[in-house]
Amino acid sequence: MTASTERRIEDVNVIVSGQGGDGSLTVSTILADLLRQRGLNVYTERDVLSRIKGGVAVAGLRASRDVRFGRGDHVELVVSFDLEGIEKMVTQLAPDAVVVYDDSDVPMPAGLLPANVRLFAAPFARLAVRKLGRILYKNSIAVALATRSLGIADDDVRHGFEQRFNRLGPAILGQNLQALDLGFELAEEMGLSAGHDTVEQDGRPEGQLQITGNQAAALGFIAGGGRFFAGYPITPATEILESLEGWLPDFGGVVWQAEDELASVNMAIGAALAGVRAMTSTSGPGIALMQEGIGHAGSAEIPLVVVDCQRGGPSTGLPTKPEQSDLNMMAFGGNGDFPRIVLNPGDPGDCFELTVEALNLAERFQCPVYLALDQALSQNLATIAPFDLDAVTVDRGKRLSAEQLASMSEYRRYAFSDDGVSAYSVAGTPGGMSLVTGNERDEFGRVSTSPENRARMVEKRAQKIESARADLPRGRRTGDPGATLGLIGVGSAYGVLLEAMEELEAGGVSTRLLQPRTVFPVLDETLEFITSCERVYVVEHNATGQLAGIIAQGGGDTKRMRKVLRYDGLPLRPGDIAREIIERESL
Amino acid sequence: MTETFPLAEPIWCAGCGHFSVLSALDAAFDRLDVPRHEAMVLAGIGCSGTIQNHVTAYGYHALHGRVLPAAAGAKLANPSLTVIAAGGDGDGLAIGGGHLLHAFRTNPGITYIMMNNGTYGLTKGQASPSSQLGFHGATEGRAADPIMLGLSLPGTTFLARGYSGDAAQLATLTDAAIRHSQAGKGFAFLDVISPCVAYNDRYHNWRARLCDLDTVDGYDPRDRTAAFSLAAALEAEGKKPTGLVYEGEGLALEAALGAAPADANIDPAANMPAVRELMDSFRG
Ligand SMILES: Cc1ncc(C[n+]2csc(CCOP(=O)(O)OP(=O)(O)O)c2C)c(N)n1
Ligand code: SF4
Ligand SMILES: [Mg+2]
Repeated sequence: MTASTERRIEDVNVIVSGQGGDGSLTVSTILADLLRQRGLNVYTERDVLSRIKGGVAVAGLRASRDVRFGRGDHVELVVSFDLEGIEKMVTQLAPDAVVVYDDSDVPMPAGLLPANVRLFAAPFARLAVRKLGRILYKNSIAVALATRSLGIADDDVRHGFEQRFNRLGPAILGQNLQALDLGFELAEEMGLSAGHDTVEQDGRPEGQLQITGNQAAALGFIAGGGRFFAGYPITPATEILESLEGWLPDFGGVVWQAEDELASVNMAIGAALAGVRAMTSTSGPGIALMQEGIGHAGSAEIPLVVVDCQRGGPSTGLPTKPEQSDLNMMAFGGNGDFPRIVLNPGDPGDCFELTVEALNLAERFQCPVYLALDQALSQNLATIAPFDLDAVTVDRGKRLSAEQLASMSEYRRYAFSDDGVSAYSVAGTPGGMSLVTGNERDEFGRVSTSPENRARMVEKRAQKIESARADLPRGRRTGDPGATLGLIGVGSAYGVLLEAMEELEAGGVSTRLLQPRTVFPVLDETLEFITSCERVYVVEHNATGQLAGIIAQGGGDTKRMRKVLRYDGLPLRPGDIAREIIERESL
Repeated sequence: MTETFPLAEPIWCAGCGHFSVLSALDAAFDRLDVPRHEAMVLAGIGCSGTIQNHVTAYGYHALHGRVLPAAAGAKLANPSLTVIAAGGDGDGLAIGGGHLLHAFRTNPGITYIMMNNGTYGLTKGQASPSSQLGFHGATEGRAADPIMLGLSLPGTTFLARGYSGDAAQLATLTDAAIRHSQAGKGFAFLDVISPCVAYNDRYHNWRARLCDLDTVDGYDPRDRTAAFSLAAALEAEGKKPTGLVYEGEGLALEAALGAAPADANIDPAANMPAVRELMDSFRG
């Protein structure tokens, strides 16, 4: 092969669509592995309906030289086992896209695909049954066509199959290799090839992680010394519970699937009283149920970390789709005034770091700390640099040891102090017996309705947030420091905005971005970012602009703020955002 | 000695059954030599939910109905603690009733004392799930019996019933319940008939309706079926058994989960090698 025929894949988006539960989505996993082995950063997206069998299930895969935290605007390759999948996809196809289609059941209707899209249709399922005796092998036939179109050498694919199917025994491996050859033959007959082989990418650092936000948060919990976790299954938070069930016992910790979210949050509170770093995770409906418990932790001054993997609301809403519509509930939910902190990671690395930080903040300021993820950040796999484990610290705040207690003449659990933070002692520590309550109480924890005491206690709790401000996680910034146009986004919007900025730049609009990692309380850096811009687009995944509202309530200059909203259940896409901003800027 | 919180004066009405529960519990810690810093008293919300204010221990006032999950969380986090949950019948049978089922089922090593007065004392006398038929507001639906519920579940390991009017029996049962949990056998449930003199004063009425199991010839608290039959037969006569109703063998949840004492080493230096190994499993 000569240098001129070499092609580097810079950025390719693949969609695999089939019936949920028939194994077709493994095609996406196999392609992801092959592309990753060639040195590309891989991002995979799940779009599975909330049921296992039946219903169209779509997997998205993006392989790119740059690190990406979202799918691109166009799809270059579609592998589909049903027509519905293609119909859903038509408007997203790149002009020269390749469509590999199993027409065993329904032939491709004329005129559905745009003119320049290349269609390679064959009855994979029927071929699989006829030649290999099992419908399942349709997937391996399709892999062959897909890898041909991506320009991955046939032998690399065979080698990948050997690695993947070896453990299932020689018979299954053999059948899959036969299916693959069948696919290669088909590709030959139909004249499907990339025209050249792609080559290995170079320059990517070794040892990158392939990890989801949920897995990263679970890992951060363990690294940060979390040793008690209670949860109740709910999409898209379940992987945190499941990952920790697998890992935490080896670290001497306890994981418990509770009977409901009321139990999980109160179990975490009980564990915290016994001095163990505790967390629970759920999604919107569970957060709604936990409001009383979270407010109680705020009142009674109990350290608690709560992960909200947000999904489409309201109520049971769109249970498997991304949205960022619990931000108001986290910032303002619950009865009464109580201190709370809301942290917003923007990628899996952030999920790790901020979970560690949340555990520290919860104990230092003895209050609930939310970690706000969203479905896309929670569940999609991204390629990222390994976490900096050496940077992990454990700060238990004003926790009293038995020795410290012994040297004190008196211990008041809710003692007034300049920073609002009282020293605390946990059950089991000699000399530190105390009363902890969500009722208003005096410094000893005895219920009190005295107006003077009440006012001071309210102020003491509020003071904790002021004291915390200086240490709350700062946001990440990128872009042209001289740009007058600002962008703000959190969660999965962060990665999408990074890419939208490139498209804006290409369209002649220069921007800079702030990803606030602390959304509540609103930090000065966020307010200053806004006043340093002429206009700031706050990009978020909800219908009412909750993030913009929180920032405005925290003092953000609303005259400069503009909302960019999405609430149709689809992930944020860089092109849509760039287009909308360019349009609004040219008015 | 560090001065910690001064015990509060009880807010209870003179003659309230809850006083007896408090005396039995406070004395049990001494009788069983439980160091006070290793004891936790978690209480629900209600008149009953103030009991922790009068005991030297780590006291906690849980949310209404949530005392069981909080207590189980504390025990799983530090199995060496002696964990007592206490609360009313409204707290434990109405708003928190779901958790009672799961405590029987999963058997965490905590002692739960239900201070059962058949009414909502604190909110001034509304009907509760254990109100007797005829109690105002309870004209529909028959009283729920938490011991019958416990007997119906195969995970249950300890059931006893005391009466505020019988201090000696209550002391014995409180000790036995705490010992059961301390021995790693799991969830000990003690129902205490603890009349509310303000809204449901039934001292006169209860004494004749209680059947002390110590006086029943050949009663075997290890026989769940017989225990259920007798309780059901007594119920048909408007009576209830008191004493040790059932004690079975069981493995406490914390033991089943292999829960370690609080705070396995979380210092980053000690923690990080294994974390690094776990992280490395995500390398592509
Ligand atoms: C979520 C919630 N709902 C309602 C209440 C009001 N409330 C306080 S105590 C109580 C009932 C107490 O009855 P019980 O548990 O039987 O205790 P008792 O006062 O009889 O000892 C209620 C309904 C509350 N505190 N929290
Ligand atoms: S109202 Fe009833 S339960 Fe409450 S203290 Fe008075 S007697 Fe006891
Ligand atoms: Mg009651």
